[in-house]
Amino acid sequence: MKVAVVGKGGAGKTTTSSVVARVLARGGASVVALDGDTNPNLGLSLGVGFDETERLVGMRQALDADEGDGDDHAADWDDLLDRFASTGPDGVQFAVVSQIDNPDPGCP
Amino acid sequence: MTSTSSASDTADARPLRTAFVGKGGAGKSAIVGTFARLLARADDEPVLVLDSDPMPGLAFTLGLEIDDAGIDDAAVVERAEGEEGPRFRLRPGLSAEDAVEAYATVAPDGVRFLQIGNLRGGVGSIMRSQHAFHQIKSELPRNRWHVIGDLPGGTRQPFLGWAGFADSVVVVIEASAKGLLSGRRFAKLAGSVVEPDRLFAVVSKARSSDDAQQVESRTGLRVIESIPWDDAFADAEREGLAPLDAVPDAPAIQQIQSLVHALQGVLT
Repeated sequence: MKVAVVGKGGAGKTTTSSVVARVLARGGASVVALDGDTNPNLGLSLGVGFDETERLVGMRQALDADEGDGDDHAADWDDLLDRFASTGPDGVQFAVVSQIDNPDPGCP
Repeated sequence: MTSTSSASDTADARPLRTAFVGKGGAGKSAIVGTFARLLARADDEPVLVLDSDPMPGLAFTLGLEIDDAGIDDAAVVERAEGEEGPRFRLRPGLSAEDAVEAYATVAPDGVRFLQIGNLRGGVGSIMRSQHAFHQIKSELPRNRWHVIGDLPGGTRQPFLGWAGFADSVVVVIEASAKGLLSGRRFAKLAGSVVEPDRLFAVVSKARSSDDAQQVESRTGLRVIESIPWDDAFADAEREGLAPLDAVPDAPAIQQIQSLVHALQGVLT
């Protein structure tokens, strides 16, 4: 299944997502947790720790800046995970999808 | 300023242009709504509070029944072909102050409230509203209006329209693991918007005296005020009541009052 968790700031999206991901993984499912928040904190709730959360955010930024390790697009989903995901507790694969660093972009 | 405050206290003061940013749920709207009303009580100059968060909240804190006060599409015209400038602007003859008069909702204590972030009539509509907003901000008389912004929770476009306008930025930070990590990001982003001496942290929902120190050491920001966790304040917020009316003596409100003084003191 593919589940998107949305809601108002502070409602508990990140916390809920992380617990759902880990419970599914404990039940034997292969789980990929994607942090699509522009202020990505999911790693902290999953339990991968502060440094790893920041490392994955940095990897995402390097990709934006075209300093990534590949000069081609990832061949497929698995390739993408190999390059950008980290394995967290209970075997949950975790990657950061977005963080934007321009404080005042031109377009609304 | 206390009840003895008067025009003479603030005659030389430059009105505030302060953007409040922070993680979703940090307490921005709760603080901004209360802050704006206390500022209006403390100062003779009018206060305009701009809500660019698409999620509701600020209106309730201010004590308004509505959660939407936008600029009518009819107030905005599209640039004619061959003309210079932004694609949309306020209707000719409609000044920034006229627009505030016509479209802002008057909240308790005379605070003017305008909402920008809501999608009303689709994307075209939000573009009109964004341009009008920007024009209102930049054309309101500098020596008269306080302009206080409640900015969106994420870091996608945290300062949209405020870079080059804000003379101060307040990052609202709860001293939790996520709050501190988010605070670091906002601190970094805000560094390109205002000078370091115009960038402050406010600790929200503080649970111990250690929280402020944590925020300073983890974000590098200067903590200008620390607002305690306050059940009475939180209950009012939860009920959709303005804490300033429901629990005027709550500790959190006293600290927001101090924040008004502190910012006025530092910036003027």
